[in-house]
Amino acid sequence: MRALRPYILIVALLAAWEIAARSGLWSPILFPSLERIGKELWIFVASPDGWWQTWTSLYRTFGGFALAAVVGGALGMLMGRSPLVAELLDPLFSGTYAVPKLALFPIFIFVFGLGSLSKIALVFLECLYPMTIITYHGARSVNPIFIWSAQNMGASRLRTLARVVFPAMLPYVFAALRVALPVALIVAIITEMISSVDGLGYLVSYSLSSLKTDRMLALVVVISALGLALDHALVALRNRLVYWEKLDTFYV
Amino acid sequence: MRRLARFGALLALLALWQLAALRGLPDYVLSPIEIVKHFVAALGSRELYQDAAASLMRALPGFAIGTLAGVLFGLAAGIARSFDEMLSPLVFLTYPVPKIVMLPVFMLWFGIGDLSKILIIALACFYPAFINAYYGARATRRILVWSARNMGASESEIFRRVVLPGALPQIFAGMRVALALSFIVMFAAEMINARSGLGHLIREAENGLRFDLMYVSLVTIAILGYAGDRLLRFLRGYFLPWEESHA
Repeated sequence: MRALRPYILIVALLAAWEIAARSGLWSPILFPSLERIGKELWIFVASPDGWWQTWTSLYRTFGGFALAAVVGGALGMLMGRSPLVAELLDPLFSGTYAVPKLALFPIFIFVFGLGSLSKIALVFLECLYPMTIITYHGARSVNPIFIWSAQNMGASRLRTLARVVFPAMLPYVFAALRVALPVALIVAIITEMISSVDGLGYLVSYSLSSLKTDRMLALVVVISALGLALDHALVALRNRLVYWEKLDTFYV
Repeated sequence: MRRLARFGALLALLALWQLAALRGLPDYVLSPIEIVKHFVAALGSRELYQDAAASLMRALPGFAIGTLAGVLFGLAAGIARSFDEMLSPLVFLTYPVPKIVMLPVFMLWFGIGDLSKILIIALACFYPAFINAYYGARATRRILVWSARNMGASESEIFRRVVLPGALPQIFAGMRVALALSFIVMFAAEMINARSGLGHLIREAENGLRFDLMYVSLVTIAILGYAGDRLLRFLRGYFLPWEESHA
């Protein structure tokens, strides 16, 4: 009984949905049955177009995410190790942290065009903040004794950064990646919903405007599965690379 | 002088931008001085206040409902094992899911008015509030609980005097994330579908090629986001004077 507990709420929710769908109180447009959603899901997965649209969204997600990971990681490391850089950049980041970067999207459309580039740029900008700020904290929290020892043993600055600082802040880098990855997916989907002619976000708004709720919910399932799979892949990668530290905190 | 140095990078960036504008920029990039001019002009009109108020009337109730529910459930799951085992799997399973994709579904269920937007904002704010309150409560040091119990504190006293103060810094961290998120989701929801609000204003401006209005909307949302964040930090300093803020 105890082992079943984690599933109680999930199963109850699904059951409630199915009952609401079959009760006939609401139109199937509002509550399509799980069967119809499953059928649409199958159609989506079986068609090459579905894969193509998924790839389009993933390409935008990863494009901005990878760029932000490299730039933000480097900036955070620099800020953590150099007080001058931190003094210069910290006000810039903490001052604009709470500003929704999404508001820049219309301007990005004019600058980068309607295609993938404006979306990748916005994903990059949104992911840059968690990446930089969390790696900055990580680089600052490196045990100074390690750095002193390395210097004492004659390690050069670059070597100290590569062999001491970088591994020590790696858990933070992964924490930052884990915050940034869902953000990247969210921003890619939002921008596609706002203005696009392809990608999963576009399909969601398109299905809604044609009142294909079952298809829309199937897409929600696809996007959710993507978000989950990406997160799990990242955690698996982290546990391989940062094997010396157990993952027990969940950074948000 | 030191303060000036702190904002050196920001000022340099603005100066560079202004200089670039002197050499001629495309139509859609206004210079900082022009933006300030348009913004001051817009401050004199009623429309900006109406749009800002419409936006806030969506973001703030959504934020309040979402964080309140998130903190309550998070604390409950953090202290009660049976609750934890039932609720946490669902929350952590759905956490990486982009909540904004539920907006079309919510629009079907709750109409295209404000209610669906408030609820989607609440849903988005629920997660960071829940997760931070959960870990804040779980991180309570056992020794503190044992000592309090030893000294005769009741369960509710332990919660109010030990667990809650210990979890507050984490709860504030969660609220900060949730506040930023509420503005993002508000803006997204308004850009996707709304008849008022700052997100609607920027869409209108984009369609009408009114670049001045685009920047006015942008500056307004930036100021609101920044002010909200400052307010939260001020409250944090007030309620948690013993915690040094580092953000």
